[in-house]
Amino acid sequence: MSNIYLPNLARIIKIQDETYDTKTFEFEFADPKVKQAFKFRSGQFLEISALGVGEAPFGLASNPNRPETFRVTLRAVGAVTWALHQKKIGDLVGIRGPFGNGFPFDEYKGKNIIFVGGGIGLPPLRSLIEPMLDARSAFKDFLILYGARTPADQVYQDRLKEWEKMSEIRFGMTVDVGDANWKGNVGVVTTLFPKCNLIVENTVVFVCGPPIMIRFAIMELSKLGFKPENIVSTLERYMKCGVGKCGHCAIGHKYVCVDGPVFNYKEIGKLPEKS
Amino acid sequence: MDRYILRKEDVNRWVEALARTQEVLAPTRVEKEIFFAPTQMAVDLNLLSGTATLPYLPAKDLVLPHSENLFHFTRKGGDYELTVPEEKKTAVVLGIRSCDTSGIYWLDKFYQENFSDCYYWRRRNNLILVTMACNQPVKNCFCVCCEGGPFLDSERDEFDIQLVDLQDSYLVECKSSKGKALIEANPKLFAKADPSAVKTREALEEKSRNSFQPDPTSYMSTAIRRITSNAVTPETWTELGEKCFDCGGCAFVCPCCSCFGVGYLNEGEKGCHYRFWDSCDYSGFTREVSGHNPRGEKGERFKRRFFHKLSYQYLKRDGRIGCVGCGRCITACPGEVGMPTVVERLRK
Repeated sequence: MSNIYLPNLARIIKIQDETYDTKTFEFEFADPKVKQAFKFRSGQFLEISALGVGEAPFGLASNPNRPETFRVTLRAVGAVTWALHQKKIGDLVGIRGPFGNGFPFDEYKGKNIIFVGGGIGLPPLRSLIEPMLDARSAFKDFLILYGARTPADQVYQDRLKEWEKMSEIRFGMTVDVGDANWKGNVGVVTTLFPKCNLIVENTVVFVCGPPIMIRFAIMELSKLGFKPENIVSTLERYMKCGVGKCGHCAIGHKYVCVDGPVFNYKEIGKLPEKS
Repeated sequence: MDRYILRKEDVNRWVEALARTQEVLAPTRVEKEIFFAPTQMAVDLNLLSGTATLPYLPAKDLVLPHSENLFHFTRKGGDYELTVPEEKKTAVVLGIRSCDTSGIYWLDKFYQENFSDCYYWRRRNNLILVTMACNQPVKNCFCVCCEGGPFLDSERDEFDIQLVDLQDSYLVECKSSKGKALIEANPKLFAKADPSAVKTREALEEKSRNSFQPDPTSYMSTAIRRITSNAVTPETWTELGEKCFDCGGCAFVCPCCSCFGVGYLNEGEKGCHYRFWDSCDYSGFTREVSGHNPRGEKGERFKRRFFHKLSYQYLKRDGRIGCVGCGRCITACPGEVGMPTVVERLRK
C-alpha cells in the first residue's frame, strides 16, 4: 500500500525574489523515477515540508505542460514559509502530492476567459493562465486583471510586462496605493471592471486573492450579471494532510483538499457555512 | 454465520490458546475505570457480562493511536534518509461493546475512501474484534437510536465474533474468516448451538432494546432533518457553543471522531513528523497562519461538530450517522452539551 504521508525529496533548483517577503522556488524531484512520473493539473496543490519544522499546502504556480520542474510562490508568514525562505539552491525539501481536483481545463474551451487575481492570489491562477496561453486559439476573449496593494507587492513582474505587451490577450493592472513611479490605475481590482468592457455571455471568471478581495469581486461580478456557476475560485484552508483524513479543511461535507480547492460559486453557495 | 456455545468456565482456556500466537486485550478494571489491557488468562468475567460496562475510552486508539510517528528523518550531509516505523502486532480485542465495534467499522469506511491510510490499515488488518452484546444497557447508553447496538445484527452489521451472555455460557456468533480462526485456536471448547439458544438470544435482544431509559435521543431523526436543511438558527448554535469549554473531551472519547493534527520534531540531525488526536472544538483547528480563522466563532465550531455527526450529507457519504450512541460524551462534557442534550435542544 502506498504511503500517503511519506514525502518525496525534491531539490531547489532556482529561487526568484518576487517582493520583499515573497519568493518563487523551482523544484525538481531528487529521485529520477519520481521526477519522470510526476504530473499535475492546473489548480492542484502540494504539501511542502521543511523537515522537522513543518509542512503546509501551496498551490502549484507553474505550467502543467512542463512538469519536469515545477514552481510555487510563497510569502514568508509562518514557521514553514520562514524555514523555506532560508533554503538555498541545492537544498532538499519534502513534497507530497499533487492533491486536489484542479481546474477542469477542457470545460473552458470555446469560452471567454477572465482572470481576476489579487496579490499572492495570482500564483495558483498562473498554473491555469500559462497552459491556456499555450492553447490560446481554444479560447475566445482573454482578459487578465491583477491587483496588488502597492507596486512593490506585485509578483511575477517580468511576466506581467510580457502579458501587457501580448497582442492576443487583454491585460489590466492596478494597485491600491501607488508610488512615485506608478503611472497605472490606482484602486482595488474591481475598479478595473468598468474600464475593461467585461463580456458576460459565455464567459468564465477565475477569482483568487485575499478573502476580502474575493468577496468584493464576487459582489461586483454578480451585479454585472455573471452567474455563480461561471465564477470559479480556489478555496483556502489549512489543509494538514491533503488527502481528506485530518478534517481541518472540511467545509460542510466537502473537504477542500479532495473535493476542491477549485469550486464554482454555485457549489460554494450550497455549503452550510460561510466560506 | 456459525453459532456455537462456549461455557464460561472455558473462557480462560480459550484466552490462553489465543494468547499463544497473538496479544489478547480484555477489559480490565483500574480503580474505578475500565481499560483494555493485555491478558494471558484470568479474564474478569464481570466485565464480560451482558451488562454494558464501557471502558473509559473506545478501542479506537488501537487503530488510531493518540499519537503516532509517520516517519523519521536523519540528515546526512546535504541529504536526508526517511524511515517509516514498523508496526506488525496482531491483537484480539475481547469484550469490545457493540457500539465501539460499530465505531471501528465506521472508521474503516472513512480511512479507505479517497486515499487509503496505510498507518490505519496496518493496525486494523491485524485486529480481530470479539464483541460483547449488551443484554442490559446502562444509564448513558443510547446505541439503540444510532444503530450502534445493543446487539450487532448478523445481516446489517459487519463483525468477526459476537458473544451473547446466556448466564452460564456464551452464544458465540462467528461471521468472518478472522473470527473463524479464533474458534479454531481451540475448537474443542465450542459446541454447536441449538435452536433454543438462538431463541433465547432473540428474546434477550428484544428485552434489551426495550430497557433503554426514556431518552431524548429518540428524536435523532428530527435533529438530522433540521441540521441537514440548515434550519437551526445561528443563535441556537451560539447558545449551545457558549456551553462548550473547547476541551476536546467529546472528540477524544468518541468512537467515531478521527480528526488529527500533525506535529514536527527536530533534534540535531534527526527528527520526525507525527500525527496526534485533534478536535474541531479547538479554536485553533482552522486558524491559518495569516490569522484568518474561518471558524473562530464557538457557535460555528459547534455547528461543525454536529453537522459532521448528524447531517444527511455525511450520512449519505458514510452510510451511517457519526454517532454510535455509546454515551461517553455525556460523561466527558463539563458543559453538559453531549449528544443527547444537543439533539433534545435541536428538536425544539
